[in-house]
Amino acid sequence: MDIGTISLVLLVSLLALLAIGMPLGFASGIMAVVVLVMKFGPELLFSDFGRGPLNILVQRMYGLTTDYVLISVPLFIFMATLLERSGIARDMYTCLSQWLSRTRGGIALVTSVMAVVMAAMSGIIGGEVVLLGLIALPQMLRLGYDQNLAVGTICASGSLGTMIPPSIVLIMYGLITETSIHALFKAAFVPGFILAILYMVYIIIRTRITPSLAPLPEPSPDDMDGRTKAIYGAALIAGLVGFALLVLIVRAFALDYFDNITEEHSMVGNGFIRNAGIAIGALLAFLLFFIRPKRALAAWRAGKGMVAPLLIVFIVLGSIYGGVTGITEAAAMGAAAVLVLIILRGEFSFGLIHEALMRTFKSTGTIIWVTFGATALAGAYTISGGPTYVANLILGADLPTLGVLMTMMLIFLFMGAFMDWVGIVLLVMPVFLPIVMKLPIEEIGLFSPFLDARTFVPIWFGILFCVNMQVSFLSPPFGPAAFYLKSVAPPHITLPQIFRGFLPFIGIQLLVLMAVLFFPELTMFFR
Amino acid sequence: MIEYERKGWIDSITWRFSRVAMLMPAFLVLIMMYEVFMRYVLERPTVWVTEMSLWVGGWIYLTAGLYAMQQRAHIRITLLYDVVPRWLKRLLDVVSVLLIVLWALATVWGGFNEAWDALINWERFGTAWDPPIPATTQPLILVVMVIMAIQAVSNLITDWDDVGSPAAVNEFEAEIEELKRAQGMADVNTSTGEGVTNNPSVGR
Repeated sequence: MDIGTISLVLLVSLLALLAIGMPLGFASGIMAVVVLVMKFGPELLFSDFGRGPLNILVQRMYGLTTDYVLISVPLFIFMATLLERSGIARDMYTCLSQWLSRTRGGIALVTSVMAVVMAAMSGIIGGEVVLLGLIALPQMLRLGYDQNLAVGTICASGSLGTMIPPSIVLIMYGLITETSIHALFKAAFVPGFILAILYMVYIIIRTRITPSLAPLPEPSPDDMDGRTKAIYGAALIAGLVGFALLVLIVRAFALDYFDNITEEHSMVGNGFIRNAGIAIGALLAFLLFFIRPKRALAAWRAGKGMVAPLLIVFIVLGSIYGGVTGITEAAAMGAAAVLVLIILRGEFSFGLIHEALMRTFKSTGTIIWVTFGATALAGAYTISGGPTYVANLILGADLPTLGVLMTMMLIFLFMGAFMDWVGIVLLVMPVFLPIVMKLPIEEIGLFSPFLDARTFVPIWFGILFCVNMQVSFLSPPFGPAAFYLKSVAPPHITLPQIFRGFLPFIGIQLLVLMAVLFFPELTMFFR
Repeated sequence: MIEYERKGWIDSITWRFSRVAMLMPAFLVLIMMYEVFMRYVLERPTVWVTEMSLWVGGWIYLTAGLYAMQQRAHIRITLLYDVVPRWLKRLLDVVSVLLIVLWALATVWGGFNEAWDALINWERFGTAWDPPIPATTQPLILVVMVIMAIQAVSNLITDWDDVGSPAAVNEFEAEIEELKRAQGMADVNTSTGEGVTNNPSVGR
């Protein structure tokens, strides 16, 4: 059978199988068999037991089971389920809201900041949206915040988990397309923060124009005034800088002691230690004589809720970007760090660990088996010549480069409204990425930044895909964020109302999507 | 987490096995911490941790799918499925399970010789520590596929009388309740769980 017919049959039957409620992974798996039958004919395929083209099914699955980076998926899930069951997020909320309670729209801003920090801890949504919905939504509604603003803020910021590194979407993309996940993480930084900052700017502007959207709480005697905040803030920053310098000194000594890094990196002999020591002394003097120990202590109490989350971010992102460990080990260290914090906070129980392990195992099974099915299908379709066929079809349509890219974005957005992101990465990427690689390089982006960086195209496309998936988490009718929030929201908030609250945030996401599409430079800051 | 109830002996076997298998991620965290400790503190990196993680990781992926199957938790779109009458639901389930069995059979058909050879020759990974990953994981893929198909058939039979029950929705609600307890905010509000269509797993 020719590949055109096969492609058509594949598309139609896959949609049909999904529609009748067959699990995504298994539907892709059986379609892999169907594609092979259509390509090679049943006689050849089933002539010899134990061998033949059907071998590709096991081959592809075995390939995944020996992929080191994929191990980070269960580990990140483990870490996220542990976090959900600890009070770390709640303390972070309490801490942040002290600082921003007198600001217009403060609780919404607190929600966004919290979401960004949590996004930097682990790369999974769902849990994040549920946590924010549990902690921040009741407060916002109690204060009389506009419901749409509250709902939109929680879900849009909560979805950032898969945009800001570490991100499970980027891990899967990197795996499937054989792109460096490190490079993807670096590239995702700027677009992710642009998204977060635009959400906050939107909240600030909206609430300044219509203050009734976000009423301020009644002033209470516990509120810090501006001067106190400035002093406490200065004290905390001084403490943070001092601590960072201390860590650097310890690191320098440790490296020097083990002497596994050359002299100029160890920073021992070149006066760094002396200068850092002087700086720490100055900071200590500042804390002791200007801030005074009493106020420094009060400042610590106002800021300690942020210590645990920032520590986890430091451990996870620090080990990835600092080149200490790979992504997989960073995920393990993150999980271990959360576990240690849970023990230190006195929240540990074997029931908690058992619950977390059970959840981890189930979620891992569902994600990985979608991956298994889809990788089998991708393998079967590739040896049948599918990707080349589709690539020629699209390139042969004589669309301008921008037209091709726009079509792809539309397909992503459309599929994202109906399908899980894992399915899209696995089924569509093997077809789309080769097409993108064949596009004339000078026509991508307004200033064609890829002319001297052709290898960066797949990384940029991954980020573009990631922003697309941000939209898909919010887009009706299946935007998962809405369902997560619905499950913890008061019953009077209906799904259509939730989706209505998303609209301005979807607008912001599309804006960023277009920005990344036209200015790939946004992803190229840390190359 | 409220687990899906066990019905029938196949469910029981899968469930008991998963009790042990679900410790593997914790084991991974443990050995990776050991490796980081050895590498950076004692400066004596181990040879076996990375390869052991690969080995265990593969086993986690495979067996976790079995548990997800027993828990009826695999990601599916039930938009259309939810609105059709019960007899049609049963028919659709039969079609799905039949196709799952076919997939498992086709996989075994195509992969049997290679997996058998790997097992018989005790094929190793060809690295420093040289664990027998191909010799064990390749046959395990086929074994898990077959058990998965059996589990699917078992699900079909044991669920025959309450096909299309809102079990998934109730379970989702129970999980949310558990999270609320963890955050110390039980009874903040009640959820309705209305319109939850696909399986809401944490790891999305």
